[in-house]
Amino acid sequence: MTSLLNKVINALEQIVLEVTDTNTGTVQWVEGDGEWANDLFPQASNQQPFVINEATPFLQDFLFDAKLIWQAAENGKLRSGLWTETTHNNKALYLEAIAIKQEQHNLLIISNQREHFEFQQQTKQLAREVLLSYDRLFLKNEYLHTRLLSILKQPPEQSNILKTLTKVIENAEFAVLIASNDFNTNIENSAALKLFDQETLLSTQPSRPIEIILRLMQNQLPEYERILSTHSSWDGELCWISPPSTLKWLKVGFYPVKNKLNEVENWIIFANDISTIKHLVQRNEQLALQDMLTELPNRFAFLQTLEKQIIAKRPFYLLYIDINEFRRHNEFYGHDEGDKLLIELSKRMSAVVKASDFIARVGGDEFAIVLNNIDNQADGKVAIQRIIDSISKPFYAKNSASFNISISIGAANYPNDAQSVDELMKFVDLSAYNGKKNKKNSLQFYSQKMKDASHHLILVEQELRQAIKNDEFELYLQPIIDIKTNCINKAEALIRWNHPIKGLINPDDFIPVAEKSGLIIAIGEWVISRSCQIAKKISDLGFEIKISMNLSPSQVTDENLFSYLHSCINDNQVNPCLLELEVTEGVLVDDYSVAEKLLSNARTIGMSVSVDDFGTGYSSLSYLKKLPLDFLKIDRSFIKEIVTDDNDKAIVRAVIAMAHTLNLCVTAEGVETNEQLSFLIDNSCNSVQGFMFSRPIAVDFFIALLHEQKAAE
Amino acid sequence: MIQKKICLLGASSVGKTSLVKQFVEGIFSEKYLTTIGVKIDKKVLSIANEQIQLMLWDLEGNDSYNVFQERYLRGAAGYIIVVDQTRASSFHEGVDIHTLARQVTDCPALLTINKSDLPATWNIDDSENKAYQNLFDLQFSTSAKTGANVEEMFLALAKLILRSEKDDIAT
Repeated sequence: MTSLLNKVINALEQIVLEVTDTNTGTVQWVEGDGEWANDLFPQASNQQPFVINEATPFLQDFLFDAKLIWQAAENGKLRSGLWTETTHNNKALYLEAIAIKQEQHNLLIISNQREHFEFQQQTKQLAREVLLSYDRLFLKNEYLHTRLLSILKQPPEQSNILKTLTKVIENAEFAVLIASNDFNTNIENSAALKLFDQETLLSTQPSRPIEIILRLMQNQLPEYERILSTHSSWDGELCWISPPSTLKWLKVGFYPVKNKLNEVENWIIFANDISTIKHLVQRNEQLALQDMLTELPNRFAFLQTLEKQIIAKRPFYLLYIDINEFRRHNEFYGHDEGDKLLIELSKRMSAVVKASDFIARVGGDEFAIVLNNIDNQADGKVAIQRIIDSISKPFYAKNSASFNISISIGAANYPNDAQSVDELMKFVDLSAYNGKKNKKNSLQFYSQKMKDASHHLILVEQELRQAIKNDEFELYLQPIIDIKTNCINKAEALIRWNHPIKGLINPDDFIPVAEKSGLIIAIGEWVISRSCQIAKKISDLGFEIKISMNLSPSQVTDENLFSYLHSCINDNQVNPCLLELEVTEGVLVDDYSVAEKLLSNARTIGMSVSVDDFGTGYSSLSYLKKLPLDFLKIDRSFIKEIVTDDNDKAIVRAVIAMAHTLNLCVTAEGVETNEQLSFLIDNSCNSVQGFMFSRPIAVDFFIALLHEQKAAE
Repeated sequence: MIQKKICLLGASSVGKTSLVKQFVEGIFSEKYLTTIGVKIDKKVLSIANEQIQLMLWDLEGNDSYNVFQERYLRGAAGYIIVVDQTRASSFHEGVDIHTLARQVTDCPALLTINKSDLPATWNIDDSENKAYQNLFDLQFSTSAKTGANVEEMFLALAKLILRSEKDDIAT
């Protein structure tokens, strides 16, 4: 080795050791020198071979992996990673070892990595401090949010809400505001007043904190109107610039407090000054326009690009991509895994968009893509399909578990759909929001029809809210006949809406809206209360008839449902044996543990449980065995062709046999003909329901029917 | 003298280095200084007239900047999963690391919920506690700051390591 190379090695603070015996870890010092190296290997002297021993345990351990490289036939290289070695004279060395196999030479390079170590420590220190700060903020917000919701949802007579709220929020370390639904009255804590303290001229009136936040949201968030009109939660960052000297970054949480009618009664708003964190993050971001996590352009870079695109007047499609159920994913796998998912997703999407397209991370789990030079939906769909395909392959968590995700994509075209940044963003946000309602991948192009549908939905929702207040609903009863006795022994309660102008409306036309808007909880409670009244009334007339009521998926997951049910039973003094809950298969599968708890409770007090529309959904046999059930209701679609279709015959026979084995009774729905009835009787079906016996009828007619039946006995 | 390798594992910023520092040097620093790579400290304990040298492998915490590397567990006689009682996410991360560690070693594993001097922001409820207790051989609540339970924890793990070693020989 030339002395020049030796100088280079010394300058790089490395030493080269040749491994003379890979089994014992014996090495010969070949090149390089320095005080640090002598401190590290005091046993090495006079060019004599020495053994790497337990005095340097990390290095000794690394020899196990290094051996594989040295004993291999081919050239190779392996790095140990950084470690800190405390020498015999108490000096800390920051080192890395590299095992090299090169043309029959087994070499071990020890590299003093002080500079690299310090750089890594600085960078990671900063990054981890940011992670910790976000974690703390998140925790504090979550805690206070839950606490405030529980206070605000208490009945007013139970507590002095205002006093309690003031006390609770005053102790918060960040700004907390609780506003009325119109934002006119609100309470705020000292931290809020301090955060929004303004250096104003004497002549100008300082704005209230709530006014400042709303103004910032309105100016900086294209989705602002949608958040207010759909009563959605939002959290994200806002930048507050108030000349001459205020520039604050705020992390804002904006949450509605809704009543049973899904009306907003209050808004809870949190604001944290994250200027310092932001400053730390920005130090690591390229010109503050790059997202640190995914290394994609961030929201501000994206909005700038969008402006430029519009100025250039080139046609493009704007996509807004939102990960479905991301929050649930984070809760399940943890935030680190959530971050990993975002990184992986951004890589996959980046790989399938063209170089001329533009992709950015614009929010927590939101991405935006500009597809350039596309002016028709067909071409747009091809590009979007590539994105969907890229995310359809499984993702892997750290423990190697695989999982899939789905996304909602909203798409709008420039210049056909909108011609400004604000409008475009508003449209794609609305499109993605509309597509988000199912849990599958969805693509929603912006259209006038969608806008109209959205308006229609809002209208029906408003009318439904009125209907609940004005008591415009009515329960109809459809008789269920016991095959053995040929008598009515049960009735399914079916809701109807007596609309003041449109007349009688079937549930199919309003229950989906009620589900989407959350009004189903209030409507469901009305059904429970009315069913109890009816069961009691019929029972008082001397008829032992069970009333079966349908539960929607949202009701099953409503944690207050059972206590409500229980209180209705008590208030009406009705025997619980006269009540039945009907749930669909989907609910049982999707929310198994919640459903199991509710149904077990119901059965404990004497109610029965039936599974509605059996056969149309998952038809998972495992839940039939595990869940507390009494009846299966075979869906009408199997009964319709039962006389002519051999497949339907086989299915119905199998379902009845299986149910009986599991000690469940079977009700056939949609029975309309004698032939159908005969088949069901022949195959030991327990009860039947359908137009052959009676349509759903008003309660008075149902009672009259019972009297007729009694008279005929 | 017997030497035993013990690895300290966990999410970043849970206090692994502080626990080692408290145990080895009896000091605590309020300043957070993130660990890079691996640092090994040693401490000799005397258990039942026997000298045992613990080689404490303090590993860089795991997060999006540093993934867990099973190879550091090679030759470990035991490991400690450190979690932070002010951050629930550190517990989930700790359980994940434990699952990965269990794929390469069945040596004694200890869970410690550190920072007991600070108010807890999460708790393991009774049913969870049962489930997690079975996952670990020992469980401690420690404070690297006050030193509460730190010595006891390392001592208990060392005793367990010696005992299981003797059991192995006996069987």
